Amino acid sequence: MNWLGAAGMLSGNAIAAMTPLVFAAMGGLFTELAGMLNIALEGLILVGAFFAIVAASVTHSLLAGFIAGSLAAMTLAWVYGAATIRLKANIFVTGLAANIFASGLTVVLSNQWFGTKGVIALKAPELTRPFAGALGGIPFLGQVLFSHDIIAYLSWLCVLATWILIHNTSAGIRMRATGANPEAVAASGFKPDAYRLLAIVLSGLFCGMAGASLSLPLAAYVPNMSAGRGWIALVAIYLGARKPGRIALACFVFALAESYSNYAQGLLRIPSEFMLAIPYAATLIALVAGSMAERARRGNR
Amino acid sequence: MATIAAAVASACLLILLFSKDFVGSLYLFFIAPLTNFYYLGNLVATMVPLIVAGLGVAFAFESRNFNLGGEGQIYAGALAATLVALLLPESPALGVQLLSCAAAAVAGGLIGAFSGMLKRRLGVDELISSFLASSLIVLFVDYLVTGPFQDPSSNFQTTRAIAPAAAFARIFLPSSLSSGIFVALLLSLAGKAVMDRTRFGFELKLCGANREFAQYAGIDSGSYTLVPMALSGALHGLAGSLMIFGSYYKVMRGFSSGIGWSAIAVSLIAKNNPLALIPAAAFYAYLDSGAKSVMMGSDLSSEIVAIVQAVIFLFITASRLPFARVFASRKGGSE
Repeated sequence: MNWLGAAGMLSGNAIAAMTPLVFAAMGGLFTELAGMLNIALEGLILVGAFFAIVAASVTHSLLAGFIAGSLAAMTLAWVYGAATIRLKANIFVTGLAANIFASGLTVVLSNQWFGTKGVIALKAPELTRPFAGALGGIPFLGQVLFSHDIIAYLSWLCVLATWILIHNTSAGIRMRATGANPEAVAASGFKPDAYRLLAIVLSGLFCGMAGASLSLPLAAYVPNMSAGRGWIALVAIYLGARKPGRIALACFVFALAESYSNYAQGLLRIPSEFMLAIPYAATLIALVAGSMAERARRGNR
Repeated sequence: MATIAAAVASACLLILLFSKDFVGSLYLFFIAPLTNFYYLGNLVATMVPLIVAGLGVAFAFESRNFNLGGEGQIYAGALAATLVALLLPESPALGVQLLSCAAAAVAGGLIGAFSGMLKRRLGVDELISSFLASSLIVLFVDYLVTGPFQDPSSNFQTTRAIAPAAAFARIFLPSSLSSGIFVALLLSLAGKAVMDRTRFGFELKLCGANREFAQYAGIDSGSYTLVPMALSGALHGLAGSLMIFGSYYKVMRGFSSGIGWSAIAVSLIAKNNPLALIPAAAFYAYLDSGAKSVMMGSDLSSEIVAIVQAVIFLFITASRLPFARVFASRKGGSE
């Protein structure tokens, strides 16, 4: 394979792998802007992935699966948000609860409905690739930009929608204000708690889509298939300085690392544990490097 | 109490929802674990790592540091203890035990200290860094257990077993309960003494309650990030080594299997009080053995206990914050 072909394959795979990260990071951005550290992204993705594939196989409709996954994750997010905000519970502990609940519930239901705690491969229709036919033949660009399924393009739209929502709608502006100065929001006659809950439910919606974008293309549910993506999304938000476009770029960098590690595994025969470690290692390194840069910037002022 | 009631209620609800034989499964979950000495012994054996790791959680939480790396710290501690014990096959049991447990505490402590150091020097959130570091450690130990240290004579993914002579005495045969329970009980007493009767414990709680105030009072609050995180990691590592010497004798892949998370639940139920860890661990071990008995005897999977655990986490801080003990005692409330 020539270098252009290899580069095209790697970045094409990276853009495909980036989809769930982008959805999850946009979801986490709402809670981050509203001033909360949302560690439940991971569990919300998992619930979305499970219910999306189950609903898609029952109804034979990808759209129904996509919606069901989103609704399931929104429901869990609402419970998590209500406990956190209405009952004034510690958001970190309730986030942990949401994650443990998600991994427990998916195993129990999978055992109950399919008689297995392992991989569930289900019959779901294949996703359309809207541009693959007409534009997929273009060298390099066809593979990188036009070979993807419809959910990938939806995630790009999501970035745009998020940007509009947080900058150009009153709800989005008040949500950001809640994170920056909740007293001011309360003094203006709005309820900061309502915007906090809205942010959590929105993060559920987006994480549900992230989950659907993991399981639907695969037509299968794999236990714990979120595989740390919720955590990587958190770091992408941080590295992207809470700006949707930059966050998407950070997601692409993580996805490129993932697609390179998949590629390298085939070539180098590295133990699978080391490959699985790459997202966590990359996240940790990014976190440390980001903090060091932050320190340096503050020091220079 | 409200949380415990919610936990029991959610367990009943789950059994009602998912089991075809409601009464039978209810019996298996709540009554069967108490009906014979074998189950009871195992229940108490399950308490050992929960108390010790729970103490580690308590020291971190009480100083308002979140150690989410328990899983990796327990796993690394277990491996360190096993490797030391395998290196010293012919030595006196007590020496092997002390050295191995020390190695386990150092291994876990270093992982905890890593996150504490990052927080202190760079302001990196210890909650995220401890979780990420632990995830890495779990994968690395997985690799070691199934690669370089795999028992060549076994088909299972496990290390070689330590010499039987080096293990703790089994005190309640045929169950897996060992004299390790006394170590756990002593540590809980010692933890209580350190937390309530020493300057270290006082300053640690002060930093947890109000870091800025502690700083004004002349306390080096940075070291109350590093030291509690290191201590927390060391206690998790120790919990791993007690599991090795008490019940397991070798490290298999996936050894920690959620004990780190369970220890967080136990410490939250105990409101970070070292003595209250004992009943909290007993309650938790009871739920756990109930889930195991249900799994073996009925159509339910043992993961329902994870859902019950989630319910505990969801409500435990709602009625009262995990750090509320400090605030309550300041207002002259219950202590």
